[in-house]
Amino acid sequence: MNLTALKKINHGYLFIAPFVIGFLIFGLYPVVNTLALSFTDMTLMTREGNWNDFQNFTRLFADDVFMTAVGNTWLLWILNFIPQIGIAMLLSMWFTNARLRLKGVGLWRAMFFLPNLLMPAAVAALFFSLFSYYGPVNQVMVRFDLLPEAVHFLQKIPVARALVIFIQWWMWFGQTTIILMAGMTSIPVHLYEAAMVDGATSMQMFTRITLPLLKPILVYIFVTSLVGGMQMFDIPYLLTDGRGSPSQSILTNTILMYTKFASSKGHIGAASAVGVMVFLMTSVCAMAIMYFLRDKDKDK
Amino acid sequence: MRKSLFSIVSLLIIASMLLAGCTPATTAAPAATAAPAEATQAPAASTEKTILNVWSFTNEINTMAIAFEAIHPEVDVVYTMIPMTNGEYQTKLKAVIGTADTPDVIALEAAFVKEYVEADFLADLADLLPAAQAAQTYQFVIDVGTDNGVTKAFAYQATPGAVFYRRSLATEYFGTDDPAEIQAMMSDLDGFIEMAATIKEKSGGDTYMVASSGDFQNPFFANRAQPWVVDGALVVDPMVEEYINIAKLFRDNGYEAQAQQWQEGWFAGMNDSLVDADGNAKQVFCYFLPTWGLPYVLAPNSKSADGAHDTGGDWGVVTGPLPYQWGGTWLGAMAESPNLELAKEFIRFATLDEQNLTNWATGVYTNAYLAAIDPNVAPDQAQAAGDFVSSKVVVNKIVASFDNSELSAFLAGQNSYAGFAEAAPSVNAKLMTGSDDAIQRALNDPINQYLNGEISMDDLWSIWKDALRTEFPDLVIK
Repeated sequence: MNLTALKKINHGYLFIAPFVIGFLIFGLYPVVNTLALSFTDMTLMTREGNWNDFQNFTRLFADDVFMTAVGNTWLLWILNFIPQIGIAMLLSMWFTNARLRLKGVGLWRAMFFLPNLLMPAAVAALFFSLFSYYGPVNQVMVRFDLLPEAVHFLQKIPVARALVIFIQWWMWFGQTTIILMAGMTSIPVHLYEAAMVDGATSMQMFTRITLPLLKPILVYIFVTSLVGGMQMFDIPYLLTDGRGSPSQSILTNTILMYTKFASSKGHIGAASAVGVMVFLMTSVCAMAIMYFLRDKDKDK
Repeated sequence: MRKSLFSIVSLLIIASMLLAGCTPATTAAPAATAAPAEATQAPAASTEKTILNVWSFTNEINTMAIAFEAIHPEVDVVYTMIPMTNGEYQTKLKAVIGTADTPDVIALEAAFVKEYVEADFLADLADLLPAAQAAQTYQFVIDVGTDNGVTKAFAYQATPGAVFYRRSLATEYFGTDDPAEIQAMMSDLDGFIEMAATIKEKSGGDTYMVASSGDFQNPFFANRAQPWVVDGALVVDPMVEEYINIAKLFRDNGYEAQAQQWQEGWFAGMNDSLVDADGNAKQVFCYFLPTWGLPYVLAPNSKSADGAHDTGGDWGVVTGPLPYQWGGTWLGAMAESPNLELAKEFIRFATLDEQNLTNWATGVYTNAYLAAIDPNVAPDQAQAAGDFVSSKVVVNKIVASFDNSELSAFLAGQNSYAGFAEAAPSVNAKLMTGSDDAIQRALNDPINQYLNGEISMDDLWSIWKDALRTEFPDLVIK
């Protein structure tokens, strides 16, 4: 009896071993190593570093660049996340609504998800060409008298930011819709039926049944999107010159980290300091989200 | 028994995860053009041949790699190309230094060659100096590859700059297309600006002096009195400010087409297919390009994609208002390379070998020639005639052969090679430092913002200096 129990446990460990070992090597080790690197002045060109205490961190706050990057990242994330969750919520409500009975839900869902399958590099290159000085957007707008003359769109701060926000939204709202739909369809239908019998409106059913029962899913979406948003890199990197131009308006945390890493000497120590700061910021915010959206009933 | 089976299975899974994690790093690098050829060639050749890993940022050195295999059949040159549009090549290179993936031979562009020559990764190539002497390699080429008396890199090119102009437009606006007279007109900056004004006035704004004010950035930067970095501190030479002022003048007066270098509008101007947003045809009078600009950039882009426009034969070349040099590719061997002798031999062949440089510059390396060595060669691998090489011996030997060549026909009979041969000995490399690339890249966006009128000159400097602090924590910036 004891032996079989032991065997069972061992099998469990064996099954999770690949993940745990993978996590230790690819997850924990890099984090610990980054933390260690962030206190050194190591560069790729010297391959050796000395401890320099908190110098990398004090340098981050010596000028505005780091705070600009943090501000940009939050701005770009929030402005794409609000419409993303809003539209996804609306779409998934329509798609799952028992009264509407929309046709071709699967087709719509697939279409909304498609942008997510494109490579960010291809998407960025596409928008780069569309909005370049001699590109089609300028041609159309000038020929239809919407603009007096061609404009360097990608050198304008509001345009560059709006494009990043739009692309991020466009690539990710389908994914959010799918997750929300999964959450909504898992809510027992009898709750809605009971509400209908009681004469509840659609709005009441949404706020009293759907939202509370969706909370775990919403927490998941919030946290994953936050983590992804704080690491926003490929679209803003590829859309302009890879340094967050125009005027550092789309310079995100990760682009700043990459710039330090890819700088002439490859300052990986300084880059790690950015990584550590972003890690701390993201962790705190993710925990705050989980705290505020926790299941309050359990506490009582 | 059962338990061990599980352990084996889980180990296998872990192993496969590890492998899956490792493969992209080694195979993602080769560029589309080079990869298929190498991939198919490798299995047949792998058993006995010594593998020499060569990394570069264009596919041109692959031509020499194939030629190298012809005289060294025991060697398999594995060629990896990584573009450097946004500095990807430099980043990738830095990331592999000191690891098992380090290549044997690396190509180094003028903008960052100094950084590597000043560091400790490159092997001392003193063995090749006699060969360089025999080839009479231009002194500045050796100077660039030398740090504290140790020579670590050689180049196959020398890259003095020039101005290429449209003869038909010159006749139309200045009454002559003679290079000597055009040069006399643009021999200084005032003359150059005056020409821009004349062109704008006479063409009613339909012809621009240049496609982009970025075109004359290199000439200005090449004529600074001091390098960007002196004793660890940033130096902003007056020429930098003068460049920005003149770029602003060109923008505000509509002397430039506002294209970006290396982008569609810039290329379109070369073949008269430039059309503004409203559909009006625009023309560009001249381009600032160095030696390699003619065979690699101007000539290949002189025909429009639809075949409607062809500006071949309508070009002339002059020195321009400011002498300069632009670009060039140096080759260095990694000190830790297990095939160091072979790597040196490759560099000797590519940069100092008289026969190879002659073949390279005179168009001997055709596709048929290369396909005879390696049947899998990419169709665009051929090396067209006209690249200006670093060896004075070879230059003197072949200069006359360009009198009646395709390239001189492109320039309406002018032998550009002879002009470059005159300019090359006076090029100096004293201004080059390891930080040039990053410093100049960081300046582009603030300048664009300033030209667009979005920011003031003061903002320009502060944004630029903030960006530099990010990349150069140790640089003293006032």
